[in-house]
Amino acid sequence: MPFQPRDLAGIWTPNGNGFGGGGRCRDCGDRGFSMEFPVFTPAGQAAFDKNTPSYGRAKDSDDAKAHPEEHIGRRRAQPPALGNDTYGTCNPMGMPRASLYPDPVELIVLPDRILQHFQWGYGLRTIWMDGRKLPAAEDIDIPRWWGYAVGRWDGNTLVVESTGYDERTWVDHFGYPHSDEMVLQERYTRINYDTIELKMTLTDPKYYAKPWTSETKRMHLLPKTFIQSSGWNGLLEDLCAPANELEFNRLIRDPAGTGKPAEPGDKR
Amino acid sequence: MTRSREVAWCVAVVLGCLATSGSLSGHHGTLVSYDRDQAWTAKAVVTEFRYVNPHAQIYFDVKDKEHAGHWSGELLPNPAQLIASGWTRKRSTEMLKAGTPITVTVAPARAGGMVVLMLRIVNDKGEELLGAAPPPGAAPRPVP
Repeated sequence: MPFQPRDLAGIWTPNGNGFGGGGRCRDCGDRGFSMEFPVFTPAGQAAFDKNTPSYGRAKDSDDAKAHPEEHIGRRRAQPPALGNDTYGTCNPMGMPRASLYPDPVELIVLPDRILQHFQWGYGLRTIWMDGRKLPAAEDIDIPRWWGYAVGRWDGNTLVVESTGYDERTWVDHFGYPHSDEMVLQERYTRINYDTIELKMTLTDPKYYAKPWTSETKRMHLLPKTFIQSSGWNGLLEDLCAPANELEFNRLIRDPAGTGKPAEPGDKR
Repeated sequence: MTRSREVAWCVAVVLGCLATSGSLSGHHGTLVSYDRDQAWTAKAVVTEFRYVNPHAQIYFDVKDKEHAGHWSGELLPNPAQLIASGWTRKRSTEMLKAGTPITVTVAPARAGGMVVLMLRIVNDKGEELLGAAPPPGAAPRPVP
């Protein structure tokens, strides 16, 4: 099937089922940023230790002990009720985590920018293509959940550089931290009609002693009519609404993690 | 994309693109809260079903001695996954009206209490609901 390598418009998915939660497809890579062991600075190690994720192998489990080849970040999961993942109360995932989540993303290409519209959370990130320069970390007054991002073409690869991320977002589901000095480089290459490859490098001298490189991640183009609900095509409004999330946490997540009955009352 | 290309892609999704992560992960990381090695099965009666984000929920009563009580059940699929597997809101809520007798297989919470992860729901006709194989023509079953 012929394709234009610089045409990235469309709905792309790393999801095993096309859309909607669950696992990533077999050739898309997993939810983690990298299997390579990160090298933390002392400040980075302290930040890592403070994070309590709920993804990966259960902390201290036989399963966790059976996989010493994996970094401890992938072997320390605790129930969300005991964790501190800000995503558990519907805060934006930020980057690169959102790109590792197994839900579709629509790339909307405008003359001066590319919008990444993530289905889960209904998150919107802007990649400016108008030639502006990335602000220096020390010049950023207000960090953003979705950061500041600029893009350019290197041959047929879209190179995105971004910074200015809110430190409360995590690098991935396993609770790897980043500081407000993180600079993320993403390289998107459309390798065939329905596949984009993504390679990322995280540079954050405050928390990481050397740049950390991702594995190659992939996502696939969805047919336009693939996501359909009520006869309506296009991304679902998979908004992470606090009204839903707080009730779920009260009725299910917290009792399941603590063994205590649900607190009375509706928190919506 | 031609129709044949679309079909080919969808078949590839069904057959080739299943989940890969070394450890399963629920939508909100809640899987780690449950012990699937201690799963149990019992007859139950639906008291409420919620077709909501971030996960669908089912509430039910069990009368048998060993597991008697009112239980809260988390389903791994969220509405997007249920839609993808053919379980629309209308179909799901009609099949799980309050008072519907069902047989459930669940994983208890590691911490104890009355919350469980739903592994299987079967109605009195023997039909598997929600997490079951999708109906003919529907998108593939969600993979947790």
